[in-house]
Amino acid sequence: MLSGSKNSFKIQQHQPGPALRGPKSSAMNSRRNKNCQAFPCIPGEHVLEAAAHVRKIVCSRDGEGSILGTLYCTNLRVAFVPEPTPGDTVGAPRCSTRLHSEHDVALLCIRRLVAVNSFTKAKVLTASSTLKFIPEELVLYCRDFRVLRFRFRDSGLEPRACQVTLAIVQAQESSSASAGTWYDTGAIRNLENAWLSTEGSSSSSTLLFERPCDWEKELRRLGAAGWRVSPVNERFDMATSLPKYLWVPSRLLDNELKRAFGHFNARRIPRLCWHHPGGSDLLRAAGFHADSDPEKEDVRSVEALMLAGHAQCVIVETAVDLPSPAEIQLSYLKLRALCLPDSSVADEKWLSALEGTRWLEHVRACVRKACEVAALLAERSRSIMLQESDDRDLNCLLASLIQVLSDPHTRTQSGFQSLLQKEWVVAGHPFLQRLNLLRDNDREESPVFLLFLDCVWQLLQQFPASFEFTETYLLALHDSSYIPFFSTFLFNCQWERDRRNQHRASNQIYAPVNGWREPPPLEILQKGGRLAKERGGPYLPTIWDWALRYTTQQRSQFRNPAYARSSGSTTVPNGKSAPLGGDKLEAALSGSGTMYLFAKGALSPQTHLFPWKNGSLSKKGWWRAQSSESLSEQDRSLRSSPSGCPLQPEGLLLPASVGPLIRLWRRCYLRGSQEVQTPCASHCYWVEQHSLADRALAWDSGDLAVVPGSATDSLGHLGVASLPPRSVNSQRNWTCFEGD
Amino acid sequence: MGGVNYVSRRRAALQPEESDEESWEELVPLPPSCPLAGTAAWSWGGREAPGAMLGKGAGGSGAKPAKPSFVSYVSPEEIHKKEPIEKEVNLHLLPGELLLCEANTVLKCVQEDGSNRGACGKLICTNFKIAFLGDESASDDNEPEFKNKIIGENDITLHCIDHIYGVYDEKKKSLSGQLKKYPEKLIIYCKDLRVFHFCLRYTKEEEVKRIVSGIVHHSQTPKLLKRLFLFSYATAAPTNTDIQNQTVMFDAIKDWREELERTKGNMKYKVLNANEAYKVSEKLPLYFVVPMSLSEESILQYQGRGIPIWCWSCHNGASLLKMSAFPKEQEDNTSQMHKIFLDGIYKTINKPPYEVLKTDDLSSSLPSLQDIQAAYIRFKQLFLIDNSTDFWDTDVKWFSLLESTNWLEIVRRCLKKAIEVAEYLEGQNTNVLLVEENASDLCCVISSLVQVMMDSHYRTKFGFQSLIQKEWVMGGHCFLDRCNHLRQNDKEEAPVFLLFLDCVWQLVQQYPPAFEFTETYLTVLSDSLYIPIFSTFFFNSQHQKDTNMSGEGHRAQSSHFRFLTVWDWSVQFESKAQVLLNNPLYVEKPKLDKSQRKTTRFKHQRQLSLPLTQTKSSPKRGFFREETDHFIKNILGKRISKLINSSDELHNNFTEFYDSWHCKPADFHGLLLPHIDGPGIKVWAQRYLRWIPEAQLLGGGTVATATKILDMIEEVQSLQKKMDEKHSLTVPQGREALPMLRNSARLSSLFPFALLQRHSLKPVLPTSTWKDLEDEDDLAKRDDEFVDLSEVI
Repeated sequence: MLSGSKNSFKIQQHQPGPALRGPKSSAMNSRRNKNCQAFPCIPGEHVLEAAAHVRKIVCSRDGEGSILGTLYCTNLRVAFVPEPTPGDTVGAPRCSTRLHSEHDVALLCIRRLVAVNSFTKAKVLTASSTLKFIPEELVLYCRDFRVLRFRFRDSGLEPRACQVTLAIVQAQESSSASAGTWYDTGAIRNLENAWLSTEGSSSSSTLLFERPCDWEKELRRLGAAGWRVSPVNERFDMATSLPKYLWVPSRLLDNELKRAFGHFNARRIPRLCWHHPGGSDLLRAAGFHADSDPEKEDVRSVEALMLAGHAQCVIVETAVDLPSPAEIQLSYLKLRALCLPDSSVADEKWLSALEGTRWLEHVRACVRKACEVAALLAERSRSIMLQESDDRDLNCLLASLIQVLSDPHTRTQSGFQSLLQKEWVVAGHPFLQRLNLLRDNDREESPVFLLFLDCVWQLLQQFPASFEFTETYLLALHDSSYIPFFSTFLFNCQWERDRRNQHRASNQIYAPVNGWREPPPLEILQKGGRLAKERGGPYLPTIWDWALRYTTQQRSQFRNPAYARSSGSTTVPNGKSAPLGGDKLEAALSGSGTMYLFAKGALSPQTHLFPWKNGSLSKKGWWRAQSSESLSEQDRSLRSSPSGCPLQPEGLLLPASVGPLIRLWRRCYLRGSQEVQTPCASHCYWVEQHSLADRALAWDSGDLAVVPGSATDSLGHLGVASLPPRSVNSQRNWTCFEGD
Repeated sequence: MGGVNYVSRRRAALQPEESDEESWEELVPLPPSCPLAGTAAWSWGGREAPGAMLGKGAGGSGAKPAKPSFVSYVSPEEIHKKEPIEKEVNLHLLPGELLLCEANTVLKCVQEDGSNRGACGKLICTNFKIAFLGDESASDDNEPEFKNKIIGENDITLHCIDHIYGVYDEKKKSLSGQLKKYPEKLIIYCKDLRVFHFCLRYTKEEEVKRIVSGIVHHSQTPKLLKRLFLFSYATAAPTNTDIQNQTVMFDAIKDWREELERTKGNMKYKVLNANEAYKVSEKLPLYFVVPMSLSEESILQYQGRGIPIWCWSCHNGASLLKMSAFPKEQEDNTSQMHKIFLDGIYKTINKPPYEVLKTDDLSSSLPSLQDIQAAYIRFKQLFLIDNSTDFWDTDVKWFSLLESTNWLEIVRRCLKKAIEVAEYLEGQNTNVLLVEENASDLCCVISSLVQVMMDSHYRTKFGFQSLIQKEWVMGGHCFLDRCNHLRQNDKEEAPVFLLFLDCVWQLVQQYPPAFEFTETYLTVLSDSLYIPIFSTFFFNSQHQKDTNMSGEGHRAQSSHFRFLTVWDWSVQFESKAQVLLNNPLYVEKPKLDKSQRKTTRFKHQRQLSLPLTQTKSSPKRGFFREETDHFIKNILGKRISKLINSSDELHNNFTEFYDSWHCKPADFHGLLLPHIDGPGIKVWAQRYLRWIPEAQLLGGGTVATATKILDMIEEVQSLQKKMDEKHSLTVPQGREALPMLRNSARLSSLFPFALLQRHSLKPVLPTSTWKDLEDEDDLAKRDDEFVDLSEVI
């Protein structure tokens, strides 16, 4: 295997790339090396400029303070390394993480740079601007709502301040200018190399859904008896944006399946997302292709796919009640403007300004729709197909939100990560376009994923005991989406990710490590391929390797101490769903399934699978005509007794989406303005007390075997083991458990 | 089909005797004139005398289903078929409560997701409350865990009624005065934001007449003070033994002396007993505290007006004072005299040992009472919801609607004013004198807010109660007029006390560990405003209470009424319910010995005297230079825009004080300043949303975490106990366990107020468009396919 960091350094030297911006002179080289000793560079990264004795201003629960340290500007990021304080036990593990999310910001994530001097006003810096004064403070506005503030030495006459500021400005400018060639920069290549070695340590139980066994495992967990994993798209020859493996009805052969692809936009056919223990199935698909001919014979297989063996299929028009990606982007921009610390909205106008962003309205719409569909799923056995014209944006959001509501497993950390892999990453959400990480195309930018995280946060604050993870975890996830060092959010679909890896694999062979000049033998190729498969993924690490960026102590805050694991098992004994299978079979054979359309909170029956079968209705106005018809029917149906949901099952969350209960995610969006730090989660005191008492007892009692198992267990759950012991009566015990 | 299955399951879970009861849906097809006596369940207690009812009411609660024992030869079902009458008569009348009128077969409608459901029962109006006795509520399963002993789930005290509407042919009209036509439906809006719908369609006509006019008359017409239920209750109630209450009532000179001593104000202030027998003023309490240098004559001169009255002293010696201003006089002569008088007073208090005095006229710097009332009327409309469709309509515009009510802005302004006062006291060592016409409305709000923020004693339960006694009850807040209990003058009505509670709630939710009480406590306290068995909130002043106390020949046997105080929570709640009023996360102030206290005090001062102003040069300035510099930069960094706008120096002081405090870690036993920026002020969700089913989260809300925390606390205690046992120390008293939170696995977020919604476990869908799918489907076929999820999962 490859290589510690030193080896990869050599590679970089041997590998001149067009976009490589390395140090040119030997003088700089030596300085770089000098700096590198202090600064834990990622291999391939080099320090451009550094300034010592910089204070980073931190506003935490403990009040506003500052950390003394060194500010580095590298070719990848702006980093701040705090000076270890003597006797600081926490300092030691901190060094082990090379990417430090708390203090670092990737150059691509910087949105605005402002230099502040006490005599002049603040100045926004661009590459063309010249710095006419020595800055006393440098403020970095990040794209993830963070605001980092660095204060230079109090004298304010620090020449380094100028240098480092200018270096940051230039590095930021050039990195965004050359973002299109991001993958080809020497730095990112070496980044990949470097992580080859570290990645082995990750023992994550997250299913990446890149190998068939993950799909099989998840399908077994769901207990979906009538379904199988189809490798029909293994080579991406059916649809490039779809994952390699698909869940399809067992009865449908791959041959039949192939005929269905043509009927859907971008060939994204209906496939299973989730199987309800009660028998219902959740499917997702793209819209019907404009050229698909319903008279054709192969419509049969489309029908079979949609009904999935149920007698009833409900098509959910995803886009109908939900905002479009463009609307999401617009309100996101407004929200960001509102939440900046220097926003000029008066306090008394804050609420209407917040409403004006429409962000919470979008959140509400998503939560409400997910709740409705989750109720439909639980109500009776049927198949529900989420249909969006390209199946890559709001379908991802809705499908995963429904699962978070319905499946307690997805509310654990590993379950949630698997869910994101399945419904977003491999399902082909165009992260690169939507997050615009490389800033090459502003038009496609739309934070659909961040909207999803906000929705999950709403659920988290409505059901604080139902999630294994905390707000801090969601925040970490939120921030991770703007770090361009990880494969998870750097590609538009699995195909791109794999292609990149193949490219990478060949690179690796042609640029041999130990002076190997021969053309690569076949074994190496195979070996490399197998290795890649074994590790289950790309060379760039996934963001699920939290250990790369967060210390143990920080990661312990991802775990919710108040989490009450739901007692019911999530898997269903097969015997339970077997009779259903028989029922399904019949319905599928007879083809007597009924179709419903679900939009605007109402179901309306459909006579035809393809709405434009008769050719009379225009495709665009079709559903509107239908639903208006159904509205008149509603009055009739109202007087009959409402078909209530059966007793609410343990696992189902039904969030409220009424105005007062949809709130602003303050810890995320208002991080920049210090005055609205949320109060600490008040239970932290008892968590701490718990650990204290527990430890004291453990230390105390050499022979006393009374430590109850449950207590030690829950201590582990609470993840407080790493907290340093403090005096019980100390007032300072009130550090925020979930604090930054 | 799901519904069928569900109903049968519910049936099975209910008590056996319920199987012969009819649910409303089944009842509806009956013609209204149908004599219902055929069904045993309906025939109860129609013509029974109130006395008999009372007698049974006492025993009625004991009518639980008999457990079959091996001695019994009769099955429980049989027993219960025989005694439904007994079971239903469970109207619980308080001492002194009289049944005025009643109506049978009234439907209480529960409006949910567009469907009409309801419970049939009897509507009763007494001189204390309106009560609905339903048939279904008798099942023991649904016994509310957090039960008010005085006010049941379906009880509305007459003072709690806000508005009564009648529905005539789908049209809603406000009911008042003499009625010509009687409505088919009665909608009652309560002051605690409940909304009741009573359908009278199946009620006999004369009963409708009687009950509607009875309710309208007894709740809407002006009353005399002596006709308050308070008096009939006090007359009839057994003389309850005085329970030792830790709440300081401030009705004795000793209480004031101790308070002076506690706050170390006794060097400069003295308690006066000049007002004994109300010689000085009827507005003032019997005892009050004034600056020592004030002469007796000046106090007597204008009936207490123009006199600075002490509220509280800060640890640094600065004091908070209040003064009722002179009314604006037309005559030059009088106002000139007033001015001279005031100048004299100011001169007296500006002399050493008193420091500089800052006066603040609250009537000009805060919204008027009319503004407050208007804002609250708009605000509460957001939560008084007739049906769910209304709610969803307002939903989209929620934030702008909320903003347009201006209520949160008023809360913000009060908190801001309190911070300003705190800044003078703490930051500038200046005495503050609050001036208001009667010093009994906004003065109460601001002075008590300042004390809650600055004195951790008032953040304990008893301290808070003492504070309300001191500033509100003794301070002469006109509860009777402001709550409009007597319905004599609508113009005087203003929710000033509620405004104060809302402000305190903002603090509680921003700093939960700093308060010994919970938001539930505040909510319950706000409800107690309308329960006329406690004297606390039913008098305009101490004088009014005292003069009405003596009974003036009112049954000569008792010369004094014995009123209950609201602070005796055991009157309303069982002790296990009272646990919910205490914050389990409150950390008591650590008891420090003398030497330690000094050091903390020093730190405290240092921390708080930080925002140094340019005008006032302080000897400590050099010492703190570093921090000040830091502070200036701080401002440059982030508040550029805000600072440029405000060159006002006064404003600067405030911002500096506010910002620098928020830069520091919060000391939960020290000064506490609320966040008052846009996102900081929130809606008191528990109070305002608790009756709205759409806002209910099953298994969610803070209750979910609370349960876990309590588990953890218990575990910590058991561990500590084990440690102590090991060290053979004395075992400390553990906290009371909370069986209430434990026994039900899934509580709703509206706990403890709304019960789990018994009727609807259906997901909350926004519109009434939940379409029935089964219209065209074969029901029998579907039934097999249905899987009961509760069994599967």
